Amino acid sequence: MAKIGVFTCWCGENIARNVDVQAVSEAISKLPGVACSENYKYMCSEPGQTLIADKIKELGLTGVVVASCSPHMHLKTFRKTVELAGVNPYLVEMANIREQCSWVHNDKPVATAKAIELIGMAVAKVRRNAALEPIKVPVTKRALVIGAGVAGIQAALDLAAGGVEVILVEREPSVGGKMAGLSETFPTLDCSQCILTPRMVEVGQHPNIKLMTYSEVEKVDGYVGNFKVTVRKKARYVDITKCTGCGSCWNACPKKGKIPNSFDYGLGNRGAIYIPFPQAVPARPTIDADNCIRIQNMAKGKELCGICSKQCAAQAINFHDQDELVEFDVGAIVVATGYKLYSIGKEQENPNIKGYGEYGYGKYKDVVDSLQFERIISASGPTGGEPKRPSDGATPKTIVFIQCTGSRDNAKGITYCSKICCMYTAKHTMLFKHKVHDGTAHVFYMDIRSGGKMYDEFVRRAIEQDGAQYHRGRVSKIEKVTVDGQTKYRCYGADTLAGTPCVVDADMVVLACAMVPSTGVKSLAQKLSVGYNEYGFLSESHPKLRPVETNAAGVFVCGACQGPKDIPETVAQASAAAGKALIMLSQPFLTREPEIATVDEKLCAACGACVKACPYKAISIEEIRDRKGNLVKMTSRVNPGLCMGCGTCVAVCPSKSVDLIGFTDDQVYAQIESLLD
Amino acid sequence: MENELRNAIRELFANQGVGVAIGYGRVGVDGAVGAVFVTSPDDVDQLVWNNECRQNLAVHLTRPEVKALGKIAIVCKPCDARAVVVLANEAQIKREDLVVVGVVCEGIRNVKPDGSTSDKDYPKCETCVQHVPANVDVVIGETSKGEALDAKNAEVATTAGHQAKLAKLRAMSAEERFQYWRDEFSRCVRCYACRQSCPLCYCNRCVADKNRPARIDTSASLKGNFAWNILRAFHLAGRCVGCGACASACPAGIELDLLNLTLANAAKEHFGFVAGTEVGAAPLIGTYDRDDKEEFIR
Amino acid sequence: MSTETKAPDAFEPKIVAFVCNWCTYLGADLAGTNRLEYPANVRIIRLPCTGRIDFNLIVKAFEIGADAVLVSGCHPGDCHYTAGNFHARRRWKLFRELLDTVGVDLNRVYFSWISAAEGAKFQSLVTEIVEKTKAMGPYQEYKSIVAES
Repeated sequence: MAKIGVFTCWCGENIARNVDVQAVSEAISKLPGVACSENYKYMCSEPGQTLIADKIKELGLTGVVVASCSPHMHLKTFRKTVELAGVNPYLVEMANIREQCSWVHNDKPVATAKAIELIGMAVAKVRRNAALEPIKVPVTKRALVIGAGVAGIQAALDLAAGGVEVILVEREPSVGGKMAGLSETFPTLDCSQCILTPRMVEVGQHPNIKLMTYSEVEKVDGYVGNFKVTVRKKARYVDITKCTGCGSCWNACPKKGKIPNSFDYGLGNRGAIYIPFPQAVPARPTIDADNCIRIQNMAKGKELCGICSKQCAAQAINFHDQDELVEFDVGAIVVATGYKLYSIGKEQENPNIKGYGEYGYGKYKDVVDSLQFERIISASGPTGGEPKRPSDGATPKTIVFIQCTGSRDNAKGITYCSKICCMYTAKHTMLFKHKVHDGTAHVFYMDIRSGGKMYDEFVRRAIEQDGAQYHRGRVSKIEKVTVDGQTKYRCYGADTLAGTPCVVDADMVVLACAMVPSTGVKSLAQKLSVGYNEYGFLSESHPKLRPVETNAAGVFVCGACQGPKDIPETVAQASAAAGKALIMLSQPFLTREPEIATVDEKLCAACGACVKACPYKAISIEEIRDRKGNLVKMTSRVNPGLCMGCGTCVAVCPSKSVDLIGFTDDQVYAQIESLLD
Repeated sequence: MENELRNAIRELFANQGVGVAIGYGRVGVDGAVGAVFVTSPDDVDQLVWNNECRQNLAVHLTRPEVKALGKIAIVCKPCDARAVVVLANEAQIKREDLVVVGVVCEGIRNVKPDGSTSDKDYPKCETCVQHVPANVDVVIGETSKGEALDAKNAEVATTAGHQAKLAKLRAMSAEERFQYWRDEFSRCVRCYACRQSCPLCYCNRCVADKNRPARIDTSASLKGNFAWNILRAFHLAGRCVGCGACASACPAGIELDLLNLTLANAAKEHFGFVAGTEVGAAPLIGTYDRDDKEEFIR
Repeated sequence: MSTETKAPDAFEPKIVAFVCNWCTYLGADLAGTNRLEYPANVRIIRLPCTGRIDFNLIVKAFEIGADAVLVSGCHPGDCHYTAGNFHARRRWKLFRELLDTVGVDLNRVYFSWISAAEGAKFQSLVTEIVEKTKAMGPYQEYKSIVAES
């Protein structure tokens, strides 16, 4: 026999002004199953909560309805109230008679009548609520960090310092990411490698960090606290445990200096066996099978070359190496897959994004993107830090920088601001000026966005001290011309402040291309059940309050995979993600909301509709066997650790053999039926 | 063709370890055609094939007592064969434990409400788009009668007559349509023959038979009949293969399959999806595309 | 408080709204926080996600005398559960076609995306639905099959 207590709140005048709370209480007291119907000035206050607790004890209430504000405001409060009074917290429902009634309807009789109906719905529902216990899930104290750029490195180091074992997976042969290839960093102009390489060494040596370079996440199963991750260790053809990193192999490779090095964005060359850059961690080479004479001819049954192997005293080279799949159990996952630059001239992965054929990228060697320019002015780059243009090695005297190439351009398909380009372009002009004293940097920009500590001062310095010429306007076309026998790139721009066309003959052009998420992020996101936006940037749980969590419990994001950001912000976010993961991993059990889907296994026909529809891969088809092991039937089954309680399975199940606890069909139909005239 | 069919089934008993062949035979006292379950090669001559073979025999594939008879061979018209594909896609049968004997079908006569048959007034399939079965193991009959429509060239299985009828209905005003169905559903006695005859209504317990809560009115009221027929049709959205077994089984002569055809047309038009044409296809409902149409959403 | 007196027999439509917990419900809350007034005819049923909203709930709403039904959730890409609204959208697209053939008046079935920030959109949509439904009058056809049952 239901004994429901209904507690109607005045919310001071907020509800009572437009809803006759006394009339409401009286009307509700007549509903079947209602044992008491009270009203009070502030139900959430201590006396209000005491009133509820006292009535629970006095009348032995089996359910409680609080008619007050939105459940998003106070459901947790009242759940706690009734729990302290000895009633299961899930036996509370709220009727939202403030936000959805008294605040939006000024006609008192009308609002009062509506309030009565809203409370009636809540009473109908709560009579069908079940007492629920939170679900406890054990936790594996190990974390996976995907991507070992500055974000992944920071997150891994913080997690490791917190005493958690970390698997750090990086698909390139070395850790370091984009930052390892940068020259100097804004706004301090400290050298990127000088600040990053000690961290790279640290992740390579930390006892709590298992580093897996040249590896990719193949598969993710399981759920928060209990993920099963399969990592593909790509065939490296070098046993890095035997290799000493002496370098005799890569120096002997007949292809040395003949293959474009992707670390230098094709501006420098390497051999078929190579380390991407001298400070690589691990400082162990990799064989690029596609370009290795030996491996390419093995399939044809020929044994050619093999010089590197002959040079290797440690006998670390194995031409028959194969990809290897390794499995790990982890409790939390941090995604730090970073970004790449939007490729303006070549084919786009995203059909909605268009290139800039008019800038000649890929056609003119001296039109480079900003990451290539970083290599050109980096001391570790292919020119040893001497600014030389790619086509003929001449020192450029005039460089045109074009900001917002791709960014903030609806016509080309990317609407967002890439955020860091204003700052690094200012930095580029300074570094250029510091190396070529008689040089001139021209910058075409749309706006200068330099919010941040010491950021605007930095841009002012580029303009005022280092003489960068800033033109507010866009370049419409770049043409290769010959002036006095020299190759120039004529940039047809506009200066919209002066209201004049602005044409500059440049020796070189640098495009500050939009940041886009790195290749493959969408397929990774699908493996992790993490959302992403139309560009592929991963979605955080809440833009303000849960910026590093995702909607997949136990999966955290940091760095540019979540949105364009600079190094300080990336590092801060990486530490935040590590901190959130540490909080989770510090508990012996995770407590999860019990309002999840449940299957009536006797009636389920195992058609699999729910399995396909579940956004969290929380449902699987399982066998039911009798004691002798004979198959009785198949059924779908919900993994309580994975289910987030959306209820999509319920809607697609034809026989309604799956139901959503807390929002069961029994509860929802009762709510609707309470509205019958 | 009948002999060709019998010989093929005999061959399956002899060489493929088939335990039961589900086919058509003259089972009624008046010689009416219905399902026969042949469990011995000696009884294969019971099997018939003619233009009265209306039922979709795939409805028997999910029944435990039939599964218990061993490996099954089943006679399928092209539309019925699509139901087998859906059943396998929904993991209700193991396709490898089944031999599908597809028959080339040139149309089945329909039955008038009074039980008599007529080629003229009740043409069930004369304009059907598919005559040659796809995704079957053995084909009986002249495959030159048309193309086997599979995932590559799928069309909604129906007849021009039916499409015309639906088009006419949809050209009416909403009030007229509602009135049409009100008249039709007023004859529904909730015998659930539509459900029993459908190979894809295989739930262990139909939601219409559940009472906590009673999602639809179980009595043969107008309210309940609307709810039931909407529910039945929508539960078959993206699944119905258009065999027409439901309408053919309806003792009240309600053209239920117009509802199914509506959804089959919509599936094809909006999602390029035709049920039962692709082995291994993901279900239409239960999957999505980020670019699905949403012009109707505010 | 409104001083307008309503004619006693004025038709007040019953609108049942099925909304998701994370976007439209919060959008309706925001309308409240911002004191955006709208007609009191709507009864909101809160579900976690549009993915949970089964087509039969719409049928049930008409059975209990709803004159119009609103189903609303998060904009594509904003679903709290990543994809519940995508699943829902596909079902609605198909279900509308079925309702159309059955002759259920599609002017009485509304679908919308209303985010937690769109209190004003909630206000204007509900106002519009109530006004249009008032103009159409009670959903007599569906009520009559219920009355005869």
